[in-house]
Amino acid sequence: MKHETKSCRSVAVCLSVSMLLAVWLVPACFAVDAVEASGAIGQAERDLGSAYVVVAEAEGAGADVSVLLNKLGSAGDFLSEAYVAFRAGDYGNASLFAMECNHVVSGVAGDAARLKLDAERARSDRLLLTSAGSGVGLVLLLVLGFSGWRFLKRRYHKRVLDMKPHVEGTR
Amino acid sequence: MNFQNAKLFYVVSCVALCLVILSPTLAAVVTFPEGEKFSELWILGPNHMFEGYSFNVAAGELHKVYLGVSNQMGDLNYYRVYVKFGNESELLPNSTAGLPSPLEPVFEYNVFLRNNETWEKELAFSFEGVSFEGNVSRVSKVLVGSYAVDVNKIAVWNETDNGFYYQLFFELWIYNATVPGFQFHNRWVGFWLNMSRQL
Repeated sequence: MKHETKSCRSVAVCLSVSMLLAVWLVPACFAVDAVEASGAIGQAERDLGSAYVVVAEAEGAGADVSVLLNKLGSAGDFLSEAYVAFRAGDYGNASLFAMECNHVVSGVAGDAARLKLDAERARSDRLLLTSAGSGVGLVLLLVLGFSGWRFLKRRYHKRVLDMKPHVEGTR
Repeated sequence: MNFQNAKLFYVVSCVALCLVILSPTLAAVVTFPEGEKFSELWILGPNHMFEGYSFNVAAGELHKVYLGVSNQMGDLNYYRVYVKFGNESELLPNSTAGLPSPLEPVFEYNVFLRNNETWEKELAFSFEGVSFEGNVSRVSKVLVGSYAVDVNKIAVWNETDNGFYYQLFFELWIYNATVPGFQFHNRWVGFWLNMSRQL
């Protein structure tokens, strides 16, 4: 009986110690250090920068990038929070915010590239259409202008000839 | 109207019509000269006016300003506004040399703006861990929004202006895709704060 109590106590002590060790060591195992957090922030910074470049190109090509800009804005907010957490020494949260930034910004560059292509295609189609319209208009103008000029010239000459004094017949 | 005048009038009309017909194509192809390119950075007081900025501050008091950025650069731009906090002796940005302040930022805002767009943000700030010892005051933390940032700034009593002076200022940086990275955009605004003891 005494032996059983003793073994129960030792098991309880073992359990308590292992639980304490788990509480103490598990976060340490998954902890993020400054280098890791800094790397995550650097990656987020680069990803956001390169996404912005593609979105800017798409916007320059005439694409509607409002949705993508909202995403970039959200990613930028996460990046700001990552920097604040990093400066406060909260590397875990800094890393999390940086990853969240990466998550938001992923796919933005691809979408922007697609929008840019569409905008460029639409722009070249529009240019082709306006050029064709202008060409047809110019040809019409030349033809009508030339015919009109000939018509006016003939009418003018006819009027001038009609104004010529008639010679009365001699007696 | 004689014949020669009529001919001239006809030719001029045709040329004018030609230009009208070609104008959509010309507008798409020809690039017209653009106006001046610039960006704006400003702070407004709590009443959304260029006045009423906080000056006498104490620990725990909440103060408010409005921070604004406007893009007139002709295209989409990526801005970063650094919020910095320093004392009288620390270096401020040098607009003549185009150099930013070497101080670490307290907070930053990342802003994406299309041409002619404006961004504005209400910025609430307060101070924590303010202590006074003789002719020295110390500010341990600056709270920007819900973020507390350790700053540990010391200001010595200014005998000329009677106060412990600090400055909260904002620098505008712009993303340069060719570097790639942010560059100081040579624009900054700020205001002085006199740290006083709590009553």
